[in-house]
Amino acid sequence: MRASAGFTALFVVIVAAGCSDSSSDAGFAGLAQQVGGGDTSGFLQPRPGDTLVFPEDWGPHPQHRIEWWYLTANLETSDGDPLGVQWTQFRQALQPRTTENEGPAADSWPLEVAWMAHGAVSFEGEHWFAEKLARGDMGHAGATVDPFNVWLDEWRLESVPGSGKWRLQVEGDGWAYDLRLSNTGDVVAHGLDGFSAKSASGEGSMYFSLVDLQMTGTVTLGDETLEVSGQGWFDREWSSQFLKAGQQGWDWFALHLDSGEKLMAFRLREDEGAFMSGSWINAEGEVEALGAEDLTLTPASWTESPRGRVPTQWRLRIPGQQLDLTIAAPPGDYWNTGLYPYWESPVSVSGTHEGVGYMELTGYSN
Amino acid sequence: MMLIRAFFSHYHRHPFQLAALAMMIVLATMLWTGVAVLTDQARSSLFQSEEAVEARVHVVRSDGQPVNVDDFADLRMAGVCVAPWLEIQRPPPEGRVIGIDPLAMGCFGESAPGGNSGELDGAPFLDISNAAALAHDGYDSRLYLLANNEHVTLPEGYTVREFSLGPPTGELADSFLLNLDALSLLVLLITGLLVRSVHRLGVAQRQDSFDLLFRFGVPGRRVRQLLALELVVLTGICVLPGLWLGAQLAAVLGGGFGQALDSLFDVTLYAGSTEALPWRAAGIMVLLVLAVCLVDWLVPRLWQSAVGSGRGRLIAALILVMGLVSVALARELATVFAGTALVFAGIGWLTPGLLALLAEKLAAGKEQDGISPLTRWRRRELAVMFRHLALPVVALQFAMATVLAVQALVTTFENTFDEWLAQRLEAEFYVEVPSGVDAGLAGGLLENLEGLGAWHRVSRGEARIGPEGAGSEDGRVSADLFALTPIGELVFDWTLLASLDRPWQKVEQGGVMVNEQLARRQQLEPGDVVEIRVAETVLRASVVAVYADYGRPAGEILMSGAVLPENFSAGFESLSVNPGNLAMADIREQLAEVWNVTDVTVRDNASIRALASRVFGQTFLLTRAISLLTLVLAAVALLIMSWVFFTTRVWYFRLLGIWGLPTRVIRNQLRRLSVTLTLSVTVAALPLGIWLTWVLVSRINPLAFGWSLPMALYPGFWLELAVVAVSTGLLVAHLMRRQLGHRESARKVET
Repeated sequence: MRASAGFTALFVVIVAAGCSDSSSDAGFAGLAQQVGGGDTSGFLQPRPGDTLVFPEDWGPHPQHRIEWWYLTANLETSDGDPLGVQWTQFRQALQPRTTENEGPAADSWPLEVAWMAHGAVSFEGEHWFAEKLARGDMGHAGATVDPFNVWLDEWRLESVPGSGKWRLQVEGDGWAYDLRLSNTGDVVAHGLDGFSAKSASGEGSMYFSLVDLQMTGTVTLGDETLEVSGQGWFDREWSSQFLKAGQQGWDWFALHLDSGEKLMAFRLREDEGAFMSGSWINAEGEVEALGAEDLTLTPASWTESPRGRVPTQWRLRIPGQQLDLTIAAPPGDYWNTGLYPYWESPVSVSGTHEGVGYMELTGYSN
Repeated sequence: MMLIRAFFSHYHRHPFQLAALAMMIVLATMLWTGVAVLTDQARSSLFQSEEAVEARVHVVRSDGQPVNVDDFADLRMAGVCVAPWLEIQRPPPEGRVIGIDPLAMGCFGESAPGGNSGELDGAPFLDISNAAALAHDGYDSRLYLLANNEHVTLPEGYTVREFSLGPPTGELADSFLLNLDALSLLVLLITGLLVRSVHRLGVAQRQDSFDLLFRFGVPGRRVRQLLALELVVLTGICVLPGLWLGAQLAAVLGGGFGQALDSLFDVTLYAGSTEALPWRAAGIMVLLVLAVCLVDWLVPRLWQSAVGSGRGRLIAALILVMGLVSVALARELATVFAGTALVFAGIGWLTPGLLALLAEKLAAGKEQDGISPLTRWRRRELAVMFRHLALPVVALQFAMATVLAVQALVTTFENTFDEWLAQRLEAEFYVEVPSGVDAGLAGGLLENLEGLGAWHRVSRGEARIGPEGAGSEDGRVSADLFALTPIGELVFDWTLLASLDRPWQKVEQGGVMVNEQLARRQQLEPGDVVEIRVAETVLRASVVAVYADYGRPAGEILMSGAVLPENFSAGFESLSVNPGNLAMADIREQLAEVWNVTDVTVRDNASIRALASRVFGQTFLLTRAISLLTLVLAAVALLIMSWVFFTTRVWYFRLLGIWGLPTRVIRNQLRRLSVTLTLSVTVAALPLGIWLTWVLVSRINPLAFGWSLPMALYPGFWLELAVVAVSTGLLVAHLMRRQLGHRESARKVET
């Protein structure tokens, strides 16, 4: 789906009407470069020492400005062809609210919270993407903890009563997926007990993942419905200022290695250098936080596309784990062409380990 | 190099001629560019409007209750693409505003309701939260849930109905664009004539130089090449400031144009220019300048010599007659345009020669007829001027005729439309019948309300109409159905274009009226019998009258609601009510009660009338502005040309002094000469202007839109044009007098 320029302008007007100019500079949930300092007054900012609280942290954090529920999956069709799926739902608050505050009445059509959802399928070099937007407090977009449910219009990720599973349903223009998710591992808390630093000066987010999701279901592309299965990765992350001024975007990787180990690594590009971090999860599920001194992450090859020049092949080294990986996106154009375009593609891993995963690159769009 | 210096030495001696040609190209480029930019913007804006205000559907509850926020959320979660549209009615001057939710419009893609205007400034759109705040302040509000297509799958309890975001625009848009396109072509023609006239004058005056060059061995081909090069360079240079000025002109007019579009569509649609400078318009202008100036090389000499000859005049007269006949008999719009072009060509060809002949004939009178030698001289001089200034004279004639026709059309339309609107909007209030309710219940209520004024119920739907005995659907055409119940005094004052006796009584008895568009298309007249298929029932009825219906081409049948078959389902129903001694608020309350709904939309006469009047009132704003600018340009061109021409005749006018005429008398003669010249052009423009008015109202409108307008003449406009002509003439005389005085002083200094 293509959002028109005029519509984008309207959206920016709307968001700017509800918050300061500087916050609109930050894009939706930090998806665009932070130009100003970002107006976070009144919002809670995660700090080292903050911890995760369950089950509450599955739900929204109204005292924080931005957060998302994010799922990627490396699936295979019954013919063994790789197929990638992504779903993300973002929440951006335009003003802070306490957890007890139920929010304004729906008939005032309030604009205190905006929701955005992205869905994408990548298959055989093609990429399908759709975006949905909604204002909060109206009922057609939101998230609840019990039962677990994150929805925007008819798109939803919800727990299936009595099964211990989740169900993800998304439908775009000419494509759809309906997937069941079973979690077989523990929650992985990134950084320091869930506080994931995003800059050397201490800004960060609360961040945890489910990295052992077994997924089955169907993906429909045009008239064809494909039976699929594979493994998924689910992230929960919230903050009030994700990118600090001077950071242009991020390069993020979530990898499933054939050895049973998992790896999350990201690089935040700054005016001078980059801030890097990650998590190494061994086959037993034990987590080791990685800092800039533990890993190197460098672009190995770039692809020119009409929307921007993107590093589509990377070299990732973690000497402490004797790890030297080449991470490559398959041929194709994997731009999520929404209000804030970014690159989201499945990847294959080679080198000292084999594997698959997902790569998200922001800040490269023209 | 020597050749080039010799070639251009003429302009060194006569810089004003170069300046005149340059100025003409700049002004012509400015006007054409301005018009071209505005036309392009109009086209792009109107394409947007078709998306923005095209008829859509809205989702309503099957139980007749108004939709609310919960319905919106439920529908969205069911996967239905709906967007809220919250209308707030405020008293003037604020008027109506519409709250929309840009976030919810994402699923509409490019065709988001209200267009991708990018501004939520209350003109008329604003964010729905702000509109909701106004609703909470007590302003009348109504929520609609727009859907993106009529085939949307809805959950149980909902259905779709047609919804129009604004007045129907397609036909108005066509009319608007047709208007602009025709005007653009005329502007191009007039500017071409003006540029050619200035260029030809310069070439004629340089003929001696060219002959000299030829005697020095420069071949004629080389001279022509240099002339072409000179023109290319000059045009290239002059087009740039012309482009810039044209863009400024478009920006100035664009404000008014944007306002016109606002009024037309109630949506801010003025697209603005996407190009920094309109290079396409510039390219056309360069080609035009080269074509009109170098056409002499392309047209055989035989033809050129034929232009001013008796045979040429015969050909011109034949072209004129062919044009007149084509326009009179045309059944296609294209033929009317082609015929009009022929008429312009014929008249343009004939006018200067005829005016010159007339002047010569008047000059040939005998002294005993009371013609003084000076008058004779002036008339001969006038004849010379008509021939030498043929092209600017024709350009001014065309411009004046266009202004006359456009002004007459617009004024006629406004007067007729006002009268028509007053008849159509006789009621003081209009009540929209909510979906899902029985409008007949309202009839029962209103019939028994004591003190209530006149009222009727309007049911709109579709029907197919054909001649008696059509038998099958093939013989019938679609038309809008407009049913009234009861037939009452709200319609008795309608002016009917043709009717039988006591037409409204006959409608009550089962007769039908048809609008002008349908009557023209189906060749229907009062007394004809037709078959009308409504729902599944075929009715046989007499046409009792033809009524005027402006602003749209659709055919319409008016009939009594009492004769409609039971299975007829109205697409839209409303009540037109004069409250009489009752308060409208009470009537509204009782209607809500009888319909068992909480919300009834009532619009007052003034707001509907204001909207409709604005729609048409400002549609012609741009047309008027462009036609007036064309006139100004033509007048400026005539001014420049006359001045240049007079300059070449200074030696001759000076002879009058040598012969002993006092300076005062010479000046008077010059003044009379120039004013006679411009006034003659005005007089020559009148028949063409009147004919063009007739073409617009009686030929183009019926063929393009199905309705005609009464032909009216406005001598007041003629007087206005005469004032322009006299002013131009006086200005020319003034400039000439200064020139003569200047030369005279110089001569005295020399002696």
